[in-house]
Amino acid sequence: MSASLASLMYAFIGLPLLAVAGLNLAGRRLTRRICRPLGVFVGLAQMAVAVISQLLLLQYHKSSVSFSQFWDMTVSDSAAYLRVDAFSLVALFCIGMAVAAAFSFKWFDSEHNAFNFTNMALLLMLGLNGAALVTDLFSLYVFIEIAGLCSYTLTALYREERGLEGGFKQLILGALASVLILIGLAFIFMECGSLRYDALALFFSEELPLPILDYLAFLFLIGGFGIKAGLVPFHQWLPDVYESAPAPVSILLSGIATQMMGTYALIRIMSELKGGAADPVADAILLLLGLITIFVGALAALAQKDMKRCLAYSSISQIGYIVLGVSCGNAFGFIGAMLHFFTLTLGNTVLFTDAAAVDLATNTTDMERLGGLQKQMPLVGVTNLIAFLSNAGLPPAVGFWSKLLIIIAVWQSGNGFIAGLALVAGVLTVACCLKVQRKVFFGPDVEELSGVSAPRGGVVVSSLTLSGLIVVAGLLIPFLLRMLQAQGLF
Amino acid sequence: MGSQWLILACIFVPLLGSFLLPVLGRINTNARNLASLLFVLVSLVCAVLALHPAMTGQPLRVWLELPQGLSLGFLGDGMAILAAMAFSLTAAVIIFYSFGYIERFENLNEYYFMVTLFMGAVMGAVFSTNLILTYAFWEITSICCWRLLGFDRSEKSIRLAGKALLVNVCGSLLMLAGFISVYMNMGTFNLLDMQGRGVDNWLMALMLCGILAKAAVLPLHSWLPASSDAPAPVSALIGGAVMVNLGVYIYARLFLAGFQLEPVWTVVTPAIAAVSALISAGAAMRETDIRRIMAYSAVCQTSFILMGVSCGTMIGAAGGLISILMNALACGGLFLCAGTVERSTGVRDINELGGLAKNMPLTALSFGLCALSVMGLPPFGGFFAKYMLIAGAVQSGHIWLALLFAAAALMTVIYLLRVFTRVFFGPLINHEATERSWEMVVSMLILGGLTLLTGLFINVPSDIAVYVAESLGRW
Repeated sequence: MSASLASLMYAFIGLPLLAVAGLNLAGRRLTRRICRPLGVFVGLAQMAVAVISQLLLLQYHKSSVSFSQFWDMTVSDSAAYLRVDAFSLVALFCIGMAVAAAFSFKWFDSEHNAFNFTNMALLLMLGLNGAALVTDLFSLYVFIEIAGLCSYTLTALYREERGLEGGFKQLILGALASVLILIGLAFIFMECGSLRYDALALFFSEELPLPILDYLAFLFLIGGFGIKAGLVPFHQWLPDVYESAPAPVSILLSGIATQMMGTYALIRIMSELKGGAADPVADAILLLLGLITIFVGALAALAQKDMKRCLAYSSISQIGYIVLGVSCGNAFGFIGAMLHFFTLTLGNTVLFTDAAAVDLATNTTDMERLGGLQKQMPLVGVTNLIAFLSNAGLPPAVGFWSKLLIIIAVWQSGNGFIAGLALVAGVLTVACCLKVQRKVFFGPDVEELSGVSAPRGGVVVSSLTLSGLIVVAGLLIPFLLRMLQAQGLF
Repeated sequence: MGSQWLILACIFVPLLGSFLLPVLGRINTNARNLASLLFVLVSLVCAVLALHPAMTGQPLRVWLELPQGLSLGFLGDGMAILAAMAFSLTAAVIIFYSFGYIERFENLNEYYFMVTLFMGAVMGAVFSTNLILTYAFWEITSICCWRLLGFDRSEKSIRLAGKALLVNVCGSLLMLAGFISVYMNMGTFNLLDMQGRGVDNWLMALMLCGILAKAAVLPLHSWLPASSDAPAPVSALIGGAVMVNLGVYIYARLFLAGFQLEPVWTVVTPAIAAVSALISAGAAMRETDIRRIMAYSAVCQTSFILMGVSCGTMIGAAGGLISILMNALACGGLFLCAGTVERSTGVRDINELGGLAKNMPLTALSFGLCALSVMGLPPFGGFFAKYMLIAGAVQSGHIWLALLFAAAALMTVIYLLRVFTRVFFGPLINHEATERSWEMVVSMLILGGLTLLTGLFINVPSDIAVYVAESLGRW
């Protein structure tokens, strides 16, 4: 029984790998026409496998499944093997979702670009999947690097000035982040002699108080992953990249790549290590960074004139909430961070898909030139509203529950005042939502846009489906929580 | 019992039905309008049917058990039923009014969708016994309110709608912070488990912020007068009849049927209400825009109700509950009449209006009936409500409060008489003005008539309110 479950897991590696291989081996002439359907298929298939795996896990009453083809998991201590649990399944589901959304509409004019995009996006997906499956910090680092390289290339896909600039910025800061992470890993390895999650958990539960080197290691890791996640004050690269990248790329980056490389890694490291010691210094730093990120991101978003930039800053603010949840170190915090991860993938994917729809129809995302589009594209306006309100944490969307859990977690960890501040900061996101709605959709009509026709096809279908999922998931969250409780997550 | 579905139908028929309306609107606009009215009427009928179990001490109850004190539930006790009847009755009349009024606007699918969704969410907030659920429905009403206030898409109304939403969300997030810390103290979001338990003063202050914002009581009132540019049915629904009264109802639900408050709040909250009543009555006396006068009047009357439910006496609480009904009917009626006057004459300044009783006798009649009820003259419903409110203030031992409110009531009489005489009597200025569509006239007359009827048969609502107030068992 669990053998069948374990063999199912290979799909997470096999799907993107086979797709990339097939795409290139079969020859560009044959495959360039099927790029988009292939991408959508791989994304959807991964979502389906993730859901089935979660159901199987529930049925067998297990919290995780380990699997390895090339190593014997039982013998060697240092062997790397792969594992899925509820959180990695959520992450894998999100990856599939963002990939499917990025491929759901025709964006690239030249087949050359479309082909390159498909290759790089599938490789990016492979790297992210790997990061979700691994069980040791070094493999995590390697897969994040793979994904990182793909994302730099994707940003600069057009090879024109702005894209190259964005990609270059991302590359420089990404390299800096890699160095920081690597130093952190080296310190931990020096102390503990292993980088495997379970060995680390054991080590940190026995060693109290922590050696000073470990504090340094935590600082480096937080700095490194903070850059990758776009936490304030390491956030400047993020809006430039989201704005300059082609629309499908900004969907991929904002929806999943930044999150997997930054926040997923942070949540994973902190939750694995929390098996043992609580580390007040790292927690305090994360709490502070989270709070600053929430406010700076939201306030900066209010000042933007470009729709994609505004969305980018607002998503920075949301990442602050995830970090806040991680910083509490209690069960509610991790569940909340995990749910908010899911919320944010859904929300950002919808928001950037809608931005792409607006861009496709009007050739601009400058909010000063847009207005009254609710009439021409009602569905886009409504999905934008739903996704934004979900990010802002208003019921009944899923974002309400994830934010609520995070706030409760912060409160439980004894920081009631900070929890209150973070809660009320939701107003800023609402204000930002109102600004985008007022300038783009809900305002008075603009003359030049009267002839704009509504976008059709994939772009509308995917944002409608995903915003439906936002509401449905929001309504079903009580049951989801029950399910997670049955799996022993809290 | 087997009739729990009444509660569910009361909430979910309008809530879910609203999503059908934009689809229906593409096929047939009349079908859409009637369906919207029908959904709200279903709420009304279900609420009336659920009254009997509530009055015999076996309120209907729907329950879903969940871990960690997150259990969800709806309870149809007397207080909830009374409010549900008041809100759905007034809303049904207002929707009927909009059949005649709103035709010339665009985006009607959105209008009916939002109005019906709004009523569904209001019903949910009224019946909910879980703080999280209450907050969720409460927030949905705010979002609908934003959409409705801005639905004519002009630069100005969008800005004001945004302001209303931000004030409301800010207040309700503070309230949510209060709810969460209550959860931290008590380990549950279930209101029924909180009965008679005390809360800290600062938590109370947080929750009061949300309520003041929604009820548009000073100092968080500014969004309401600003909203008077919206179409008349919208501002009647939000400003006059439903949304502000929902704020006061939630106060009653939380602090009369839920927590036990420190005695100091039986002075502080009425004092806030008194200041709010006096200032808004003063503003209504100075203002010359008829729609804004009505908005200030709504602030003033809501403050009265808040004083009643917060002064800590049985008679005051019963008076507050009756006032929710009376205020919904009468203030809703006044908003509609003001809207009709604006529609017929194109003028909102009362100095440029006059003698309309000649051209628009039926509007004048309904305005008069509603105004007399708001002033609190017998035998109108408003008289009994005001009487009980002020009696409650006297009983609470703070004569100065009663005097302040008596002063505000006097000011109410003055500013309403001023509007009435300016607009409907004197020399006829607006010669071309006539009564508009029959739907508008009929719905205004219904509300005007109901203010009189509820006064003549005051024993029906007052029995319910007194029963509810007595069964709270904390006097």
